[in-house]
Amino acid sequence: MKINSYRDWYWHILLLFAVVIQLWPLLFMLSTSFKTMDQIFLSTLNPLPAKPVIDNYLYVLKNLPLIQYIVNTLLIASSITLAKIITSILAGFAFVYYDFSHKEKLFNTLLLTFFIPITVVMMPNYLFISKLGLLNTPWGVILPQLADGMGIFLMRQSMRNIPKPLLEAGRLENASPWVILTRIILPLIKPSVIAMGIVFFINSWNDYFWPLLILHDKPTYTLPLALQMFISAEGGSEWGIAMAVAMLTALPPLLLYLTCQRFIMNTFMQSGVKG
Amino acid sequence: MNGIIFENVCKSYGETAVVKDLNMTIQEGERLILLGPSGCGKTTTLRMVAGLENITAGTLKMGGQVVNTVEPGARNIAMVFQNYALYPHMTIWENITFGLFIQKIPIEEIKARTEQALEILNLSGYEQRKPNELSGGQKQRVALCRSLVKQAPYFLLDEPLSNLDAQLRLQARTELVKIHNLYRPTFIYVTHDQVEAMTVGQRIAIMNQGALQQLDTPDVIYQHPANTFVASFIGSPPMNLLQGAFRDGALWIAGCRVNPPTKWHTLLAEHQELWIGIRPEQCCLSDAPMLHGQIEFVEHLGSQRCIHLRLHQDGQRLLCMLPADQPIPTGTMGVSFSWQHVNGFDGHVGQNIELPNRISHNYAC
Amino acid sequence: MNRFTWQSALFLAPATITLLLFAYWPLLQDVWLSFHSWNMVSPTMKFVGLQNYLQLLSSDELIKILLNTVLYILVLVCVNFILPYLLSFIIAHRLNRFSFFYRSALFIPSTVSLAVASILFLWILNPLAGPLNIILSAIGLESPRWFKESGLVIIIIGLIIGWKVFGYNLILLAAAMVDVPKELIEAARLENVSNWQLFRRIIVPMTSSTALYVFVITVVFGLQYVLVPVNMLTQGGPDQGSTNLVYIVYQYGFVFFQTGKASAFAILTMLIYALFLIVKTKVLDKKVHYEN
Repeated sequence: MKINSYRDWYWHILLLFAVVIQLWPLLFMLSTSFKTMDQIFLSTLNPLPAKPVIDNYLYVLKNLPLIQYIVNTLLIASSITLAKIITSILAGFAFVYYDFSHKEKLFNTLLLTFFIPITVVMMPNYLFISKLGLLNTPWGVILPQLADGMGIFLMRQSMRNIPKPLLEAGRLENASPWVILTRIILPLIKPSVIAMGIVFFINSWNDYFWPLLILHDKPTYTLPLALQMFISAEGGSEWGIAMAVAMLTALPPLLLYLTCQRFIMNTFMQSGVKG
Repeated sequence: MNGIIFENVCKSYGETAVVKDLNMTIQEGERLILLGPSGCGKTTTLRMVAGLENITAGTLKMGGQVVNTVEPGARNIAMVFQNYALYPHMTIWENITFGLFIQKIPIEEIKARTEQALEILNLSGYEQRKPNELSGGQKQRVALCRSLVKQAPYFLLDEPLSNLDAQLRLQARTELVKIHNLYRPTFIYVTHDQVEAMTVGQRIAIMNQGALQQLDTPDVIYQHPANTFVASFIGSPPMNLLQGAFRDGALWIAGCRVNPPTKWHTLLAEHQELWIGIRPEQCCLSDAPMLHGQIEFVEHLGSQRCIHLRLHQDGQRLLCMLPADQPIPTGTMGVSFSWQHVNGFDGHVGQNIELPNRISHNYAC
Repeated sequence: MNRFTWQSALFLAPATITLLLFAYWPLLQDVWLSFHSWNMVSPTMKFVGLQNYLQLLSSDELIKILLNTVLYILVLVCVNFILPYLLSFIIAHRLNRFSFFYRSALFIPSTVSLAVASILFLWILNPLAGPLNIILSAIGLESPRWFKESGLVIIIIGLIIGWKVFGYNLILLAAAMVDVPKELIEAARLENVSNWQLFRRIIVPMTSSTALYVFVITVVFGLQYVLVPVNMLTQGGPDQGSTNLVYIVYQYGFVFFQTGKASAFAILTMLIYALFLIVKTKVLDKKVHYEN
């Protein structure tokens, strides 16, 4: 459709500039994590260290309970993701399959929790978790995050896109709602569920603030929390090691995204968000 | 002159050629139809004129200027899209006047043009409505209105009637010709419906698989199709194409020997294998028939009947249109036709072999 | 569809119980707490009525907090709403190729934790040895004290958040852009519209429902995203220069241990958010064009 493609070059320059701004910090993080202290301060801008070293990573492995951190983070992220997927599917199904009074009101009520800021709920939830004796445990982090208002919205949305005749055919076979959900609906909305799960996982993996409140003892830390150890008051720091830990924190979500990229993009582009 | 000239224009998407070596001249102020089956390249050709598609090779000239790289907005074209392309968030008035405001035409002029156009298309009073409140036919007229007020020298239409039901289409066809007569822009109209093409067009360009088959007036196309494709595309029911061979001074069709005029013998001899084209309405019953066959099926079409014949000897099909007031024939039937109605096509290539059709005597009908 | 049966309650229960228990119940508890004075540890709470609110509303601090909040919102709206809106238009409608590449590449920072982003930019912006300082020195400029200057710190933190969130908003808006029927754009181009006219008069109205959503989440979540970099890098400083309406609750709750005041601030925030959403529904929703 576009006739003058040779005039597009200035748009490309603008966008490439944006891409550089977005990606350069990450590449910088990558290269710094492989530099020695000297290299960091002397050839700061050099993207390719002359002799990339893995000293920083070795230090991290030896002196930090890295495996423990990874396990903590993985446990919390996976549990939250699984819980949110299940509760969202169940609730979304209820809204699509059943009719009851105040259905819309309940739906809106659940959806609105999405807009409640964390600072409103954090203190009472903290006190509650504390009373349950779950401070400093991963379950204290997981428990308040078993459901997600946006997840319910997305699942209801995808299920609504299934043509009604498919569900009605199931009912004519006298299939129970559970069977209709698991045998008919789920296989059809698999892409949306997976895309949603990936987003939940990445967000939980990266979560900092709520774990900050609950996890006080170092061994219970998640990877993002471990980063706070590298911020010293004077501003000087073991930057190479900090970058190494940062890389390890950033890598799993990034890899997850890169491998499922097309998939996520397509699901996003299809469903969109229309208010 | 303000005509449009295609010089060896080609369009490909990667490896696939969609328009092949198009050479065509569209006269200023004429109504030209681009007609053909789906995928023949007619819409792509139209969009190349509009500037919405890049031209892969060749030159496109409009008004004497080469326009290959000119922006669509600079070509002074009004276009009616197949799905009308009305802006859903604007009122009808805003939709129609959008382009005029962009061009910074004075507001009184805009008002005058719009009100006139609305009246011509019977849309007065609908100005404040939104597109989703209108029916298909009304939306189509709004799209026409929008193009009309632009008063551009080029008026392109991409299958504008295909989303209307049959009744509306009839009406709309006459409206389109009326609109053209208002200020005589160069009209280029894409359609796959041959009735539309024949009734609206002053000249028709028939395309197939990216290549121009024939460009001429409806009459000529109907009487003298350039090749077998055009012959079978135009006309409902389509022209009969019968396989024939010319041997020993006579033409053999379906095992029957028929005698074409002597003037034609040399020409026919050059081709040996032939397709003989004769339209169903040009066949008639005869006592001294040229061809005969078994009646398979009779279609009742109101004022006429269409007889499906299976010719004896080699089983080719022949369609014959008879007036409905004649008795319905049964069993075997004999058919004759006049040589002045016959078109001959080469058996291998399909091109019309240009039989001279002015002959002194005619057979049967 | 079936009548309301115990079955539907069963399906709804897990999500509903969780959300009621951990989202709405705490809201009520906040109201309760805001009428008391407490330090989160002592076994007794003192009822003080509206005292917390009165103190809050009459403090000088409130002005500063609100100003900071407004400044944050301005930065976030520019970087996370206006910029992605314009760029998604360019990517979707002005470019022939590489659209997928740009969207993918620009989205990558969104997969990174804000904690990672904070520490990364702490290093990049380091005024003594960080790379940005090196570049600035090379052109003869001195590196400002990014996190120590009152207004600047908000802009910097806003930009850090912007760096991460930009890609996500871009994707959402690009999806809306792609939904605009191609024919409409073509019809407009035949009228010789400029890019700006095309954007303003056709694209914006037709993508307005998604744009409104993105605007809302930019504000609502942007202010919450601030929690992480502020907590890691400035702790609200310099001199409460980087705190905002959302972070102040954390400070009063977990730093100063004045639970009552914290809850009062939380309720205030909730009311402002509620007001914002109501205004959005009553005013902006009407102007937005929804495709049905």
